[in-house]
Amino acid sequence: MTRAGSAHELTGETDGSALVSMRDVRRTYFLGEPVHALDGVSLSLPEGSFTAVMGPSGSGKSTLMNMLGCLDTPDAGVVEISGENVMELSGSERARLRGTELGFIFQQFNLLPRLTAAENVTMPMVFHSAVEENRRDRAQQLLERVGLGDRLDHTPPELSGGQRQRVAIARALVNEPSLILADEPTGNLDTDTGAEIMGIFSELHEEGRTILMVTHERHIAEQAEQIIHLVDGEIEEVETLEETGGESA
Amino acid sequence: MKITESVRISWRAITGHKLRSTLTTLGLIIGIGAVIVFMVLGGGFEGDILGDVEEEEEPLVQVTTQTTPEDGFGVQFIQTPIYTQSDVEALETRDRVEYVAPQASLSAVQLSHGDERLLSSGGFGGEFGVDATVPEWFEDEFVDVVEGDVFDGEDEAVVNELLVERFDEPLSVGDELSIRLEDDTETTVEVSGIVDDDTGDLLTPTVYLPIEPHYRTTIETPGGTQERGYSMLVVAGSDFEELDELQDDVETFFESDSDAQHLKDEDHTIQVQTVEDIVEQVTDIIDQFALLLGGIAGISLLVGSIGIANIMIVSVTERTREIGIMKAVGARKRDIVQLFLVESLILGIIGAVFGVLVGLGGGYLGIWFLGWPMAYPVDWVVIAVVVGVVVGVLSGLYPAWRAASVDPIEALRRE
Repeated sequence: MTRAGSAHELTGETDGSALVSMRDVRRTYFLGEPVHALDGVSLSLPEGSFTAVMGPSGSGKSTLMNMLGCLDTPDAGVVEISGENVMELSGSERARLRGTELGFIFQQFNLLPRLTAAENVTMPMVFHSAVEENRRDRAQQLLERVGLGDRLDHTPPELSGGQRQRVAIARALVNEPSLILADEPTGNLDTDTGAEIMGIFSELHEEGRTILMVTHERHIAEQAEQIIHLVDGEIEEVETLEETGGESA
Repeated sequence: MKITESVRISWRAITGHKLRSTLTTLGLIIGIGAVIVFMVLGGGFEGDILGDVEEEEEPLVQVTTQTTPEDGFGVQFIQTPIYTQSDVEALETRDRVEYVAPQASLSAVQLSHGDERLLSSGGFGGEFGVDATVPEWFEDEFVDVVEGDVFDGEDEAVVNELLVERFDEPLSVGDELSIRLEDDTETTVEVSGIVDDDTGDLLTPTVYLPIEPHYRTTIETPGGTQERGYSMLVVAGSDFEELDELQDDVETFFESDSDAQHLKDEDHTIQVQTVEDIVEQVTDIIDQFALLLGGIAGISLLVGSIGIANIMIVSVTERTREIGIMKAVGARKRDIVQLFLVESLILGIIGAVFGVLVGLGGGYLGIWFLGWPMAYPVDWVVIAVVVGVVVGVLSGLYPAWRAASVDPIEALRRE
């Protein structure tokens, strides 16, 4: 059911037509002694792909996520998103990229507690969208999409964990991003709720969206098309799954 | 990000912490409020003193002896008689001079009206004063005859409104007044008129008597003769168009070989002032005091701005995670700066607006209590609002910069 490939094969697959690509990315932190969070990582995410990243803590998952999320920049190597070299962009251009090309989903949901669900969903539009009138409609449409059409005016403290994560997913979709980045999206949820959230991810994948998800749970990762295994800042293995068969795994 | 967006979001943050926001702006409210109160009171005091001064365009100048008090504030009027009869007569021969109205103080000890008695503590600023002058003196623009007429005969007197109210049974025209002078002579006069002489240096209940025959004080002139001496003069010209020339003329006269020039103390100056000059002088003095008090009040503005800066820094620390979230969903540095600046700006504006309201309210109460006319210090209201805005922006600058520098990775990792 699974087929293993090597890191070198993946490096060879890197090409300019991919939606997102990393070439030989290195990132070193100096915490007393140098820590190679990413040590020559190359990968490419074609449009419509669903990729999971697994690895023990300290393997560089978060750093990889931050690189692709334009929150961090590499010491060496190239990160390209939608054809733009992140290293060559200014701070505010990277912010624009985050607001328009990327959608974040976090383990901690990261909603603003004083804003309503609808306002949280449309928050990225505050920074990168001109049209104000459509916001309420857009929030309505997206919250219906994640099954929260009747919770527009609830604030996060009034919502359950699963509902909060649905709001966060709706927020990630608001500006029609090229890439959805999910960091342990089910990590703070019970199994049933986690399964519901993964159901939404599967639907998003079927719609043709590009997703990169970090997780440490095997059964969650298996819903993706491929799993990248990170160890000590290097890609140890890229596992390609033949079909998204989460339920049967 | 649009300004309206940041106003909306900032307003949410401010109203989300009502108590804190209130306490934060309190310093500013008190500071601006206190400044406005002093300015309202200053304006009211000015209005009380100068409100009756009509620009009648009379060609008059006042000649007084003044000095600067030791504390450096305001001006002190010297009552020593240094203007001799010779000076008065010499001035009257000048081309532009129509007449000279001298005035001097009499030392009275007791004033009786019917059964009522007023005792003088003796000297300027006592319970009442008795001045000797000529009928022309009442043509001065600071004096309005409100009832009756200026004295005509030697047994008549003019009183001011302050004195009228000093008796339980208010004085009216035709009443008799007995004045006992320091030399124990007693004079009885009939009130012929009541005047409103509400000027800055004459806030004393006063009786005005004709110089002839009541004023007998003489001084030794530089020429060695004994003559009557007066403590102030009003010099009238014939043409208002030549007021400046008249003022120059009189000034020149006193700078030259006048008796007054020789008789005055070294650190006293002879001031020749038009009505406009006097109004300006009074305004300046009151403004000096209002500014001093306002300046002290202004210190709390500083405290207020520190308060805003402090709470904004706390707020940045508290909202580090929120800032991280906003950055992750696309907020640029300048968006974050804008958010925090707008927030402190709103606090500043709220402080200024409420400060102005509190100040006008407090000032109004004080004015009402003191019986002065209400003053609206428009310029100070504008200044207060500008200060509020400036304080808001300045105290928000550093916190906003700190907020913008938040590392989203660190911020999101935080619990």
